[in-house]
Amino acid sequence: MPPKGRKGSAALPAKTLVLDNGAYTIKAGLIPTTSANPTIDDCSVIPNCVARSNRDRLTYVASELAECKDFGELAFRRPVEKGFIVNWEAEKAIWEHEFLGTAGEGLRCEPKETNLLLTEKPNCPKELQKNCDEIVFEQFEFAAYYRCVGPILNSYHPSEPSSLSSLPQECLLVIDTSYSDTTVLPIYSGQLIQLAVRRLEVGGKLMTNYLKELSSLRHYNMMEETYLLNEIKEAISFVSPSAHQFAKDLDRTWKGRLGDKRTLDPDIVVDYVLPDYEQSVHGYARPHDPAKLKMRRGLQPLQGPREDVLPLGNERFAVPELLFNPTDIGMQAAGLPGVIMESLAVLPEALKIGMLANIVVVGGNSLISGFMERLESELRVMVPSQYLLNVTRADDPIKHTWLGAARFASQSSLLKSVLVTKAEYDEKGATWLAKRFAGGEK
Amino acid sequence: MPHVELLPNSSSSAAPGWTYVVDTGYDPSKIAINPKNKKRAAAQPGGRRGESELSARQQTAIARRIVELQRDNDPKQSVPVPSHNSIPKTQNARRIIQYQRQIKHWLDDEEALLQQIITPRINPIGGRAIPQSLRRPTTNNSLPATPSEASPAPATLIAGGSAYNNDKPVEHDIYTPPMNSSISSVGPTELRALLSSPPLSYAASHAGPPPAHGPRQRHFCDNCGYWGSMRCLKCGTRVCGLECKDAHEATRCLKWA
Ligand SMILES: [Zn+2]
Ligand SMILES: [Zn+2]
Repeated sequence: MPPKGRKGSAALPAKTLVLDNGAYTIKAGLIPTTSANPTIDDCSVIPNCVARSNRDRLTYVASELAECKDFGELAFRRPVEKGFIVNWEAEKAIWEHEFLGTAGEGLRCEPKETNLLLTEKPNCPKELQKNCDEIVFEQFEFAAYYRCVGPILNSYHPSEPSSLSSLPQECLLVIDTSYSDTTVLPIYSGQLIQLAVRRLEVGGKLMTNYLKELSSLRHYNMMEETYLLNEIKEAISFVSPSAHQFAKDLDRTWKGRLGDKRTLDPDIVVDYVLPDYEQSVHGYARPHDPAKLKMRRGLQPLQGPREDVLPLGNERFAVPELLFNPTDIGMQAAGLPGVIMESLAVLPEALKIGMLANIVVVGGNSLISGFMERLESELRVMVPSQYLLNVTRADDPIKHTWLGAARFASQSSLLKSVLVTKAEYDEKGATWLAKRFAGGEK
Repeated sequence: MPHVELLPNSSSSAAPGWTYVVDTGYDPSKIAINPKNKKRAAAQPGGRRGESELSARQQTAIARRIVELQRDNDPKQSVPVPSHNSIPKTQNARRIIQYQRQIKHWLDDEEALLQQIITPRINPIGGRAIPQSLRRPTTNNSLPATPSEASPAPATLIAGGSAYNNDKPVEHDIYTPPMNSSISSVGPTELRALLSSPPLSYAASHAGPPPAHGPRQRHFCDNCGYWGSMRCLKCGTRVCGLECKDAHEATRCLKWA
């Protein structure tokens, strides 16, 4: 039995497994508790899925996906749904595959000699949090553990590169636009203002599925080609600078009517050359060529190289437009700038001003061309003109939250103040632990 | 905003099954289409239907399609986990690892629990559904109240909601906010109250509907994505013209109904 109180847990392991456990990818790294300054090079990005090919009957667990050469009809099983770990059978298999044992490359650790810092999405159902805590201590048997909403730890990025302060930033508004959804998180001195957290259920997953649906309707049945459509989405999407330009581009990509055919604008419309998974594993986009497209339709030579081409016009900008106009598909929600204002409306004016001056965008969707410009210009119109508005995209929006967590984990005094040891868990139980992580128990 | 271009050929407007739409700006955003909010929709006072041209069937169709687009895992495709993993070490672990539930089951459980906590305090007699918005205190909200949030939550309700979380006021020993900051105009009591409020439920964290005075709902051709100026009489879906009308009938008409 350990001494009473966590002050007694002096001999914590000297390294911490930092996991930003996303629905699409896990961001992971082992951080020494006395590390000088972790960098994004210490972060591995691992697919958080088990994939199975219906063609060659092979199964790929997490990082094994890098070996896959045929993504055709690849089926995915993702343990994280809507951002929360739901299926522990699969997540356990993935964690064991990636982090446990001595065989295999990459990050290996002995949980009994390692701390775990695990991030979660905001508004996680309590039962799922409890499942997670029990698995971490009872199945993996980590020595000590802390679970918190990931973007909170972005407060521990130095507000200026030269700053050596370990104090969290005072006002920070994190926009996390990722695979599952897009969340708005006002954070004050390292504490999440829970009442003001808002969620727009538009994320990378919805957009990939939407592009898959549109392409299948308009061209080929690609409903089983999730991997490919995600690749295409990342290659060709852009966010229109404004609703006005959106309307113009919609005209420029319209085929016209019977008897009034229009020429598609080759500045927007592209042909995506699909991989055949024999000669090529990945596709590529090139300018639209109507002649070649005609050739595809039934006139391809039986001998020689075949080429399958997917033309993409308004899909390029109508898909990411959902972040700004969810009602385009009938979803009953304001666009992201409106959601940000809804969140800020909960705060006292002084905090609101502080948040607007320090908005940081993380998550893969922020990499879509034109996203930041549209977000800033729409916000500028909504924010009173005398207020400073500062919107930046994190240097590496995918690893930024992990890096914040890694910086936190590298400061032993910060880390010690939040970690719970396995002995404490064994003594006090899961309900106590849940309260402790919610900030309510000492 | 959406053009309404009527074809010069007037005979097509009389084609069976089709009608031209003069965009009257109906706003589906005012209608609860989130399947989670069925109870809220049902609990809303009458008169809604008159404002809207969306039939119940269309709303269902939109909701089903969105659920499909939001899907994380395809239940038809079961991908087995390779079996060379460690065995469960405790009863708890075994139970958790064996769950085959999806996220919607957990979220439904969460909502059901909230209903149990809140319902008796509002209406001890009947089982009237509680509007979602009551779970989110809106008293601090300086935005104009949207129709669904028009009634602010009484304080007792908020307290009831927090029973789901943690009844005691939370004290934070770890991150003591520096009070000597530029945020000095915010009172320490107000700040502490703000920082100690428990998390919202997943459903309560959802963004509200777009503002009623905002830009009008845009309608697109279901087939090609251009502006949808015609409507299918069978299912209400929009299309841009005759070509796409044919394609729509051959593919997606009534698909989500
Ligand atoms: Zn059309
Ligand atoms: Zn129809």
